[in-house]
Amino acid sequence: MHRDDPTPRVRPLAAALLAVTLASAAVTACAPAGPAPKKEEQVFRFRLHEDPPTLDPALSNDQFSEAVILNVNRGLVELDPLTLEIHPAVADSWTISPDNRVYTFHLRDGVRFHNDRAVTSQDVAYSFKRLLRKETGSPRRFLLEPLEGAGEFIGGKSADVKGLETPDDRTVVLRLSKPFAPFLSQLTMANAAILPKEVYDDPGKAYLRAPVGCGPFRFARWEQANFIELAAFGGYYGGRPALDRVIIRMIENRASALQEYIAGGLDSLDETPSVTDTAMMEKIGKDVRKYPFIGTGYIGFNLALPPFAGNPNLRKAFNYAVDKAYLWEVLSPGGNTPANGIIPPGIPGHDADLPGYPHDEAKARSLLAKAGYPGGKGLPPIALWVNTGEDNRKIATQIQSDLKTIGVDISIREVDWGAYISGVSGTAEKPGQAQMFRFGWYLDYPDADAILRPLLSSANWGPAGNFGRYKNPAFDALVDRALSLTDPKERALLYGKAEKIAVMDDAVWIFLNYYQSETLYKPYVKGVVLSPLGEFRLPLERLRIERDAI
Amino acid sequence: MLLAAATLVWLFVFCLPGDPARLIAGGRVADPDVLSAIQKEWGLDRPAPLQYLTYLGKLLRLDLGTSYIQKRSVASIIAETFPATFILAIAAVLLATVFGLGLGSIAALNRGRLLDTLVLVLALLGMSIPVFWLGLMLMLVFAARLSWLPVLGYGMEGMVIPLTSIRLPEWDHLVLPAVTLSLVSMGAIARITRASLVEAGTADFLRTARAKGAGAARVFARHALQNALIPVVTVVGLNFASLLGGAVATEYVFAWPGLGKTIVRAIGLRDLPVVEGCSLFLTAVFVLASLGIDLLYLVLDPRIHYSSTA
Repeated sequence: MHRDDPTPRVRPLAAALLAVTLASAAVTACAPAGPAPKKEEQVFRFRLHEDPPTLDPALSNDQFSEAVILNVNRGLVELDPLTLEIHPAVADSWTISPDNRVYTFHLRDGVRFHNDRAVTSQDVAYSFKRLLRKETGSPRRFLLEPLEGAGEFIGGKSADVKGLETPDDRTVVLRLSKPFAPFLSQLTMANAAILPKEVYDDPGKAYLRAPVGCGPFRFARWEQANFIELAAFGGYYGGRPALDRVIIRMIENRASALQEYIAGGLDSLDETPSVTDTAMMEKIGKDVRKYPFIGTGYIGFNLALPPFAGNPNLRKAFNYAVDKAYLWEVLSPGGNTPANGIIPPGIPGHDADLPGYPHDEAKARSLLAKAGYPGGKGLPPIALWVNTGEDNRKIATQIQSDLKTIGVDISIREVDWGAYISGVSGTAEKPGQAQMFRFGWYLDYPDADAILRPLLSSANWGPAGNFGRYKNPAFDALVDRALSLTDPKERALLYGKAEKIAVMDDAVWIFLNYYQSETLYKPYVKGVVLSPLGEFRLPLERLRIERDAI
Repeated sequence: MLLAAATLVWLFVFCLPGDPARLIAGGRVADPDVLSAIQKEWGLDRPAPLQYLTYLGKLLRLDLGTSYIQKRSVASIIAETFPATFILAIAAVLLATVFGLGLGSIAALNRGRLLDTLVLVLALLGMSIPVFWLGLMLMLVFAARLSWLPVLGYGMEGMVIPLTSIRLPEWDHLVLPAVTLSLVSMGAIARITRASLVEAGTADFLRTARAKGAGAARVFARHALQNALIPVVTVVGLNFASLLGGAVATEYVFAWPGLGKTIVRAIGLRDLPVVEGCSLFLTAVFVLASLGIDLLYLVLDPRIHYSSTA
């Protein structure tokens, strides 16, 4: 300060005081981390990345929505999340006619909705018609399209579904237009939940924020972008769950979620620290559970665009060039396993002996030359599309580098999900712009049909799922024929053959990985089911908290 | 201004790549029949000018539209998420103002000394450190290591404001996000306070006040500080307004259930009515905040008058 500075003076001590006050604002609060449960209560807290897009079973098409819906709602049958067997749910038994077309379900006694009304066969009929109805706008009405007369009902030509009958309050008869092997499996999906008409006919759609079902937990409250709270339903037909409450917290940022887990604000977390983060692994490494997840990761080729259209040798060359073992054993170790095909392990039809495309640079070069592009010369610009994300970027960069070794230059186009899905799927008439795209597919039910048909059947051409626009009549015939059979062995054989055509003859994708789930669970959480259906398929009614036991 | 903002927002949103119908249908795969039904239901199959006119027509009726994904009114989404953002912004601005003014004053009073340099460096750091990184660091130190504060979240048991459905955050949950968010503004306020005070310090009226026997504290508070406040108020006001829409990184790090995060998610899901409605709402708030600042000038400086004539 200059000698003649006219600025008034105060004691410099004020500076220190202010600094101390600033710090104290941050440190005077001494509270436990996270919403702490009351002592005697059994409360389980887990994380979703964001709010579920919907809690209406008919509209659900994602794992976050299903994580809630499958605990609030129940269908006629359910999938055991561990053994993947079909178990009774609202129906306690069923029979299938010898021609595999008529399914007769007998409803369980004592099933009640959360509004305390008994579930009847009329509710089943209402829920199934609601799922099929065009106005509902369900992305998964296909589950019930095998029903006789479903097409007429959807098209508004009939007020009823011919193949859906309720002879009495406790019986539901479903008649298919032709045998459809995965029908029962499809009924285990969240979309086929049984709903009370008086709640779901509300023109104000209050059910969107306050769903009602007959599952083990009733919906309690939902604060947008904050949490969803579920409470045990005393009237659940399977007995009241051990947990009193479930808190589902929306935490988007992985690093923050990990800190919250360490601090005790979460009892489970769907993400784990990197194996290279030794400090973090030391703290919570013992809580990591790893288990297979029925899903396959791949790089799709757009078979309607050059240079991949009509050039299986080029697609094979790309396959051999990519070192899948390096990807999953060195670059991103500890999780996924290299894939040799499409159908993941554990699913009937998976062929562990399928040769696939192990890394072989020499073969890749030779096939590239055979494809008409020796040393990569003459190839048009190729872009690999990925949706935004660190993992996707890492994988894409490695693939780019692998292809470079055989002389192929590709660029990476990283865009957000909205732009990505449009760029990849295109429209019914026009293929997407993406020539190559990274995609992963998790099976909704344990059947090879749940991956082969949606992604590769020509019936699902374009936006319906077959984004690469693959068409091979021999493949289609095998997949279609398997649908009408009931002998699991025979079906598996057909799916195995279909897979071989798509993998070894046509090389429709770069077959990258079979997925593996990694989840953190606190040691006091008991009854954990590590489901091959994924980390969000949590049968919460089986969990209990035993803090004293550790 | 709101019409211009509405048009710009609509144009921006309309030009986003991607088909909203696909994301409404759940994203992964979708039957073309279902897609076309969705497009028809939400008017996405209509020509762009018609979509724009429909949007404007709704706005004239004060209807911000219905979320494609959540299937409820955008107004209700704003009503649910804006309070969290507002509370966070208020807390951050209060902290930033109190400590920014304090630090700026200290720097001005110690101009040229070590303390002045220290404050200026701190202010520069506050303005330069990325909020995302800062938030994580504060979280690691005060929540993870010292366990003094919750790691993240809004809390579940905060008080509900009577006659509303607005739930206040648990106060300890507010501390880290508010401190994180305040540091950027604090730096700017400290710097502008210092500059204004230094400038006011050379004014004749201070010498007069001192000659009339006013004590140092009175000269500072009644004369120097009050005259230096106008630029500070401008900075505080603009910071507050921008914090309302720009707290996204803080909301993301601390899982704060605010409007910023809601907009970002809506962009990702191509939930166009939510993006449009929330952006327009924030524009209106920004305009109102600017008006508030202008009116505050009247209180701070009696020489200022607004007149309809030149």
